[in-house]
Amino acid sequence: MSDTRTAPEPGGERQARPVTAGGPALALHALRTYTLKMDTIPALIGPGRGPLAVVRFLGLVLLGAIIGAIAALFAVAFVTAVLELNELLLISPRSRMMFDHAGALMAITVAVPALGGLVVGLLHLAIPERRPHAPADVIAAVQTRRGRLPARAGGLSALSALISLGAGASVGQYGPLVHLGATLGSLGARLLRLGRSDDNIAIACGVAAAISTAFNAPLAGIVFAHEVVLRHYALRAFAPVAAAAIVGYVIATNVLERGALFHVADTAVPRPWEFAVFLVIGGLGALVAGAYMRAILGVTRLAGTLPLAPPLRPALAGALLGLTALWVPDILGMGQETLRFATIAGAFGSAELLLVLGLKIAATALCLGMGFSGGVFSPALVIGTLFGALCGSLVGQLSGAPQETFVFYAVCGMVAVTAPVIGAPLTTLLIVFELTGSYALTTAALASVILASPIAAQLFGRSLFDIQLETRGLDLSAGRGRAVLLSTPVAEHLTRDCVTLRPETAVAEAMTALGQARHGEAYLVDARGRYRGCVTLADLEAAREARDGPQTVGGVTAADRPLLRPDTSLWDAMARLQDVTGEALPVVDAAEDAFLGVVFEASIARAYLRHSDEMRREEHGTG
Amino acid sequence: MARVERRRRLAGVTRLALLGLALLGLALLGLAAPAAAADDGPLTVLSWGGAYERAQRAALFEPYTASTGRRVEVMQYDGGLDGLRRAAETGEVPWDVIDMTRSEAMAACEEGLLRPLSPALLAPAPDGTPAAQDFLPDAFGRCAITHTIFATVVAYRRDAFPGKRPTTIADLFDQQRFPGPRALQRTPAVNLEWALLSYRVPQQELYGLLSTRRGLNLALGRLDGLDEIHWWEAGDTPPRLLAEGKVVMASGYNGRFFDAMVNRGVPIEILWDGQVQEHETWAIPHGNPHPEAARDFIRFATTTERLAELARRIPYGPARRSAALRVTTHPDNGVDMRLHIPTHPLNAERALAKDEAWYARTLGRINDYFDAWLAARQRD
Repeated sequence: MSDTRTAPEPGGERQARPVTAGGPALALHALRTYTLKMDTIPALIGPGRGPLAVVRFLGLVLLGAIIGAIAALFAVAFVTAVLELNELLLISPRSRMMFDHAGALMAITVAVPALGGLVVGLLHLAIPERRPHAPADVIAAVQTRRGRLPARAGGLSALSALISLGAGASVGQYGPLVHLGATLGSLGARLLRLGRSDDNIAIACGVAAAISTAFNAPLAGIVFAHEVVLRHYALRAFAPVAAAAIVGYVIATNVLERGALFHVADTAVPRPWEFAVFLVIGGLGALVAGAYMRAILGVTRLAGTLPLAPPLRPALAGALLGLTALWVPDILGMGQETLRFATIAGAFGSAELLLVLGLKIAATALCLGMGFSGGVFSPALVIGTLFGALCGSLVGQLSGAPQETFVFYAVCGMVAVTAPVIGAPLTTLLIVFELTGSYALTTAALASVILASPIAAQLFGRSLFDIQLETRGLDLSAGRGRAVLLSTPVAEHLTRDCVTLRPETAVAEAMTALGQARHGEAYLVDARGRYRGCVTLADLEAAREARDGPQTVGGVTAADRPLLRPDTSLWDAMARLQDVTGEALPVVDAAEDAFLGVVFEASIARAYLRHSDEMRREEHGTG
Repeated sequence: MARVERRRRLAGVTRLALLGLALLGLALLGLAAPAAAADDGPLTVLSWGGAYERAQRAALFEPYTASTGRRVEVMQYDGGLDGLRRAAETGEVPWDVIDMTRSEAMAACEEGLLRPLSPALLAPAPDGTPAAQDFLPDAFGRCAITHTIFATVVAYRRDAFPGKRPTTIADLFDQQRFPGPRALQRTPAVNLEWALLSYRVPQQELYGLLSTRRGLNLALGRLDGLDEIHWWEAGDTPPRLLAEGKVVMASGYNGRFFDAMVNRGVPIEILWDGQVQEHETWAIPHGNPHPEAARDFIRFATTTERLAELARRIPYGPARRSAALRVTTHPDNGVDMRLHIPTHPLNAERALAKDEAWYARTLGRINDYFDAWLAARQRD
């Protein structure tokens, strides 16, 4: 986490000798720990504003464009490969219709997802975490300013997502595309030996290009990268990200041919009271989104307790999916056809909508929870649209009005469910706008997102990604500042540059040692290296003054000091500091209480300031 | 630039190679000539009759007889493979060349009813462009070669809807604004596509949606919404029904509507929106009497000059680019034929390409489904 631009800090000098009682050579280093170096917080303008900075900045924009081109080509290849696989493996309705053997088709419908699941399960064994990497990992890398997405795990995750989608699992394709783009961006930054800040921007570029290509929506790509991945707006990041999105768009329009997601009759404009309905759909949609997210997380938890080897879990899910698809084929795959039908009034009956809606949620939770690789967005699109269609047909039945505005309901439902799931209301609105070019539809979607996002955020969390990260121990709810501190272990600031005393040291001797070292407190470590407590100069003074006070430091009432572990985060250390008056917190080994050293309060404060400063520079700097 | 240059050079090389091949082919033909001369019975062509046959006679059959001395006998059919299947079973196939829609040719080819047909037999364009580059991209099938593109379109009586006119294919199903009986072809093809298009489904997704029970029901539901449908089978029926005023809107082949409109003055107008383009091909059935002459005829009938002449008489789009550029006015009435050809950019803006691979595999089941629906509708 160290940045070369900050001055070397005392905590970094690990070679400093531990100071033991009577040890003479300690004072010089200890002295420096008290001087808080103000030059570690340089002025905001920093090194920018010059011809060189302009060239550097332009280089970054060019890098964004190149990453955008590569990510877009990969995205096109991925989307095409999924479609081809769906044709080949008899997942797409067209290929199923063209295959004229009912019996064999039934067997294939069950076998293909099951075998696909098996391959996916085996592939995941090669990933260190035993699970596919997903957008949540991208968000974690950028929010903790870690960057450096692993290329091998990223490639394997993309491959397993391709197989999952190709074999008809009810998962999405945009998540894998986003992760693939991000991995390519991070790889590019590493090849060019760029710093972490630029690595994060490169990741955002890959993400923007992937969305821009997949949806044919450059604005949505730019906003998604900012809203979900970067979570701040900086001109320094905006320009490369925009370049990547535009390149992705140009490539998409020239290579991929696809119909717009929705079509709207030009004449239909919702009546004023319908906007109130859209608002309500938003509120209810938040609950559907919550049920969807809870279902995925719940199955994930349950799958962990199954007495079944992890590689076999997706195979089981695939077989169950295939069996259900024999009855309701709409749940198979990404559900392009189901999505389209849901925008057409009369394609589904109300009961049918409810059935497919419930089954689609269950199928997606089953597939993702049991270990298929894939995104959550495309199923959410289908679920949301079905939900909107359900609302639309109910309103139609109640009001008896002609269903000219049916597609508005479908789109409102779609936005109300997808925006909370990915935690990106603006992106979803822009997708609607860029795909339909309809202002009326976008305003209707806006009405529904007004309630959907805040209600879901209050009840469930900012997005499914954030909830997933929280279960893995990364809480992003208080923003990036906290995430960075949460992900930085105190071990980085650990020093042994402190006074340690044996418990049997005499009080007077201890005071001399402290005086020589110019420290105010000492840490008691026994012969076996175990931490025994902490004494301050004031405690020792009191013990000496007392008539029948203890003769050794071990007998002095030790100050109650919270302990840190090497992996305690900087954030937690800061929280514990609030109740401490002293100069440092001792760090002990988790297992044996072995004393490892201390972290000075000043180091923690300085680290906090340094991280804040880096972030400020990243978010507000221009060059 | 370099790529264009290379392509041009490549084209030159292939052109030379093809020229060589053509010379070789001619030499071989010369060798085979005595054998062919042994049987100079008439060449039998199976085609669609009506205005189309009249145009083919003038542009293809008569010039062929003039240049080779072989008579051409024409038989008529309304499409379908049943006749060909029966003939193949009895072992007596009376036709040398069949004018087939591409989807039927694909199905017949898979059933082994047709002889494989190599595009190498085709003549280059007058400027030397090899046939492979001159024909439309997917003109060559395994057993059939596309010669023209025809379209199934909707035509309406100009006097039926005072003050308004249909502009989109959805209007075919809008009985409120455009009341009156319709005439539709008694096949699922085209009708299902139009019915789904009327829900504003994008073209690319059409056949994916029609592959589901839900999509089929949605489409048939749309057709069910029409109160009165006259089902036609022969291509000359819809112009006649329009001319007699029995229907106000009808689907039909664009060439037939043109013939009624221009040559017979029937007050109708073509709605190009949603036109379904199909390839019309030449194919040679297995067991035909004159295989050599049949190939010779196909080469003659697909030259740039003959295709352009055909398009001057009936407005079907030539499958050769060089021919499309040479289409001029109708020889009898001087009408500029380019504006009436389905592939003209103005007409083709929202054209739909029929997914013939899909139909080749599904036609039987789709037909059954359609017939069951039709029977149920007629019972009610």
